[in-house]
Amino acid sequence: MNVDDEKNKSAGGLKSSNLVQAWLVLVLAVGFGVSLAGVQLMLGPVIEGNKLNETLEKVPELVLGNLLAAKMAGENQTLEIVPRQVTVEKPGRNKFYSVYEARYQGDLKGWVVKTKGQGYADTIELLLGLSPDLHTITGLFVLDQKETPGLGNKIITDAWRSQFVDAPADRSLVVIKTGASRPGEIDAVTGATISSKSVTAMINTTVGDLRKPLTTGPSSAGKGGKNNG
Amino acid sequence: MKPIDEILPTAPVIHVSPSPHLVQTASSTRRMMVDVLIALVPVVAMSLFVFRGYALFQLAVCLGGCLLAELVFVKMRGRPSTLKDGSAIVTGIILAMSLPGTAPWYVGTIAAFVAIGIGKIIFGGMGMNLFNPAMVGRAFVMISFAGALAASGFEDVRSAVDAISQATPMNAYKINGVVTPLTHLFWGTTNGSLGETSALACLLGGLYLVIRRTASWEIPAGLIAAVLVLGGVADLAGPADGWTVLHHILGGSLLFGAFFIATDPVTSPLTPTGKFIFGAGTGMLIMVLRLFSGYPEGVMFAVLFMNALTPLINRWSIPTPFGGK
Amino acid sequence: MADLPTATERFINGILPENPVYRQLLGLCPTLAVTNSLKAAITMAGAVGFVLLCANVITSLIRNLLKPHLRIVVFTLTIATFVTIADRFLAAYLYQMSKTLGPYIPLIIVNCIIICRCEVCASKQSPLVAATDAVGQSLGFGIALSSIAAIREILGTGALLGLRIMPASWPDWVIMVLPPGAFLTFGLLLGTVNWITARRGGKKTA
Repeated sequence: MNVDDEKNKSAGGLKSSNLVQAWLVLVLAVGFGVSLAGVQLMLGPVIEGNKLNETLEKVPELVLGNLLAAKMAGENQTLEIVPRQVTVEKPGRNKFYSVYEARYQGDLKGWVVKTKGQGYADTIELLLGLSPDLHTITGLFVLDQKETPGLGNKIITDAWRSQFVDAPADRSLVVIKTGASRPGEIDAVTGATISSKSVTAMINTTVGDLRKPLTTGPSSAGKGGKNNG
Repeated sequence: MKPIDEILPTAPVIHVSPSPHLVQTASSTRRMMVDVLIALVPVVAMSLFVFRGYALFQLAVCLGGCLLAELVFVKMRGRPSTLKDGSAIVTGIILAMSLPGTAPWYVGTIAAFVAIGIGKIIFGGMGMNLFNPAMVGRAFVMISFAGALAASGFEDVRSAVDAISQATPMNAYKINGVVTPLTHLFWGTTNGSLGETSALACLLGGLYLVIRRTASWEIPAGLIAAVLVLGGVADLAGPADGWTVLHHILGGSLLFGAFFIATDPVTSPLTPTGKFIFGAGTGMLIMVLRLFSGYPEGVMFAVLFMNALTPLINRWSIPTPFGGK
Repeated sequence: MADLPTATERFINGILPENPVYRQLLGLCPTLAVTNSLKAAITMAGAVGFVLLCANVITSLIRNLLKPHLRIVVFTLTIATFVTIADRFLAAYLYQMSKTLGPYIPLIIVNCIIICRCEVCASKQSPLVAATDAVGQSLGFGIALSSIAAIREILGTGALLGLRIMPASWPDWVIMVLPPGAFLTFGLLLGTVNWITARRGGKKTA
C-alpha cells in the first residue's frame, strides 16, 4: 500500500478520480497489448502458413495417389501448386470454388477443388482431386465434418473414400445401398445413407459446375505450360 | 417450527413424497409387477412366434443382465435384496422387447447394466428414478452401437427367420417410401424391435393393464389422440404416399410404448390431467421425430424427454384443494 | 498472513485435497467438453497450467498495488492476455490440436479455477507460494482431466492416445466420446472420489 499512498499524495485532489485509481489497469493494459502485438507479429505468419498448408499438403496425394505422392516426397520433388478462384454463375447467385492447379515440371497433373455442402448433421467440407481432362476422380479427402459418430463419420475412412479414386467424373455417381459393382456406383456407409448421398451429390455438383470453366479455359493452362517449358 | 400450512393457511400445499403407488406395501408393488408381466405375455408370445430363437436369446440376455445388475448394485448400497419385487424382471423384459433380435450379446448386457445402474439405482432405487430405466438402457446402447441398433442393424438377409430378413416397416418407408400393408402391421409379421411388431399383442396386453388399473388409461389415450391429430394433419398436408395415420399408430413401437413404457407410474405424472398432458406430449414428440428427424422412430426419445418434464407437469396440474382458490 | 498455507501445503492441496475438479467443482466446461481424447485433455491441462502459472505470478507481484474494487478487472486482463498467447502458440505449433480444441482455448479466460487461485492465493501471498500453488492446482486439474479422458477414450474408441489397446472385437461405446459420456463419466468418477474420501474418514480433508 506504500507506493499507492505516495502516489495518492502527489496526485492531491485528483485522488478520487476514477482514471487515477485505475492507473494500474491502464498500465497493464498497455503492457499486455504491446506483448500481444509482439506475439501476433511473431506467430501470425506461421499460423497463416498452417492454414494454407492444411490444404496444400493434401494436393499431391489427391492428384497422384498415395504411392506416387510418397515416392515424389521421398525423391524430394514437389508439385507446383497454383491456387486460383473459379466463379461459377448459378441462377441468382455466383458460386466460388477454390481450385488448386497441380503441375509437375510444367505439365498439368490435375486439379484439387475445395467444396462444401450440407451433410446429415452439419456442413461437410471436401477436397476433391480431378484428372486434368476432368474424366476421372483422382482422390477425395474430408477436411471437416460433424456427422454422427459411429455411422456418418465413417465417410472419413480410407476404405470408403477409396471407392471414389478412379471413379469416372464425366457422369453422375450413384449411391447404392450394398454391392456397388459397376464403375460410377458408390457403396453407402452402412446406416448412413444420407451422409453418403450428400458427399456424392456434392461431388457431382462440383464436377458439373467446374467442367466448363476448367476445360474451356486451356488458355491459362497452355500459357503456364509454355512459360515453364 | 410450525408446520407450513399453519403459517400460510391459504397457500396450496403439496407434500412431495416419492412414488405414491409405493406407499402401501412391498406386496402392492409385486401385484403391479405381476399384472405387467401378465400383460406382457401376448407380446412375448408373439415375439417368440415371429422371431423364434432371436427373441429367446434377447430375453435371456436382458433378463439375466437386469437381475444380475440389480443384485450387484443393491448389494453395493448395502440394502436388502430387492429382487423379489419383480421390477428388475419387468425392466428386463421391456428392454428385451425394445431391442432388435439381431443385436449382439453385449448390447443387451450393457443396456441392462445401464438401465438398472444408471437408470435406477443411482437415483436411489425403485420409485426414485427420473427416467424409465429400460429406455435409459436402450438410449445408451442405441447411441453407442449405432451400427447394431440403427435401421440396418435390424436386418440380416441370411437369416432363416422371415421377419429378420426384411427391412423394418418404419425404415422401409423412411428410406425407400415402401408402405407395409396394415394387416402385416396389425398381426406383427414384420421386422422390428421384438415386442413392437404386433399391434394386436400390444393392444391385448395394454387393455388388460388399463382394465386392471395398473396403467392409467389417460396416458395411452392422450398419446394416441395426439398421434391421431398430428398424423391426420400430416395425411392431409403431406404427400399421399399411402403411409396414413393408421400406419403411424400400428407401425413402429407406438402401441408398445403407449401401453408399456409411457405408463410407468414412477416416471409419469400423478394426477389424471397431468397424465393426459404427459401422454399427449409424448404423442406429439413421437410425430415430430418421425416426420422431421433423421430417425425413423421416436418413441424412446419422446418418452425420455417427457420423463424429464414430469416434475413440471406435476406442478402445473396440482388439483385445487377443496375450499382453495 | 501467518495462517495462510505454506508453499508446500498449497502444492499438495492442489493435487487431491483441494482438487479443482473433484473437490472444488471448478473448471467444468473444459472438463466436460474436451475430455473425449487423452491428447486433447493433456493439451488443455497444459494450456490451463501455463495461463494459471503466469497469471498467479503476475498477480502476486502486483498484489500490493491492487485496489480491492479493481482487482477482478486486473485478474481478467492478465488471464485474457496469457490465454491469447497460449491460443496463438497452439495455432502456430500444434495446429491440428488447436482446431480440435476450437473455442475451448479462448474460453479458458472464464475458467473459474484461474480467477479463483488469483483471488484466494496469488493476491495474498508471495510469488513463490503463488507459483507452487499454480503448479499444484494445474497438476490436480491435469489428473482430473486425464482420468476422465482416459476412461472415455478407452471405452469410446478402444484406444488410448490413438494406440489400440482393446482387442479388435471391442465394440466402441460411441456414447462415451459424445457429450452424454462426459456427464456420465464425470458423475461416476466424482461419486467414486467422494465415496473414497468418505470411507477414509474424510471429515478432515473436506
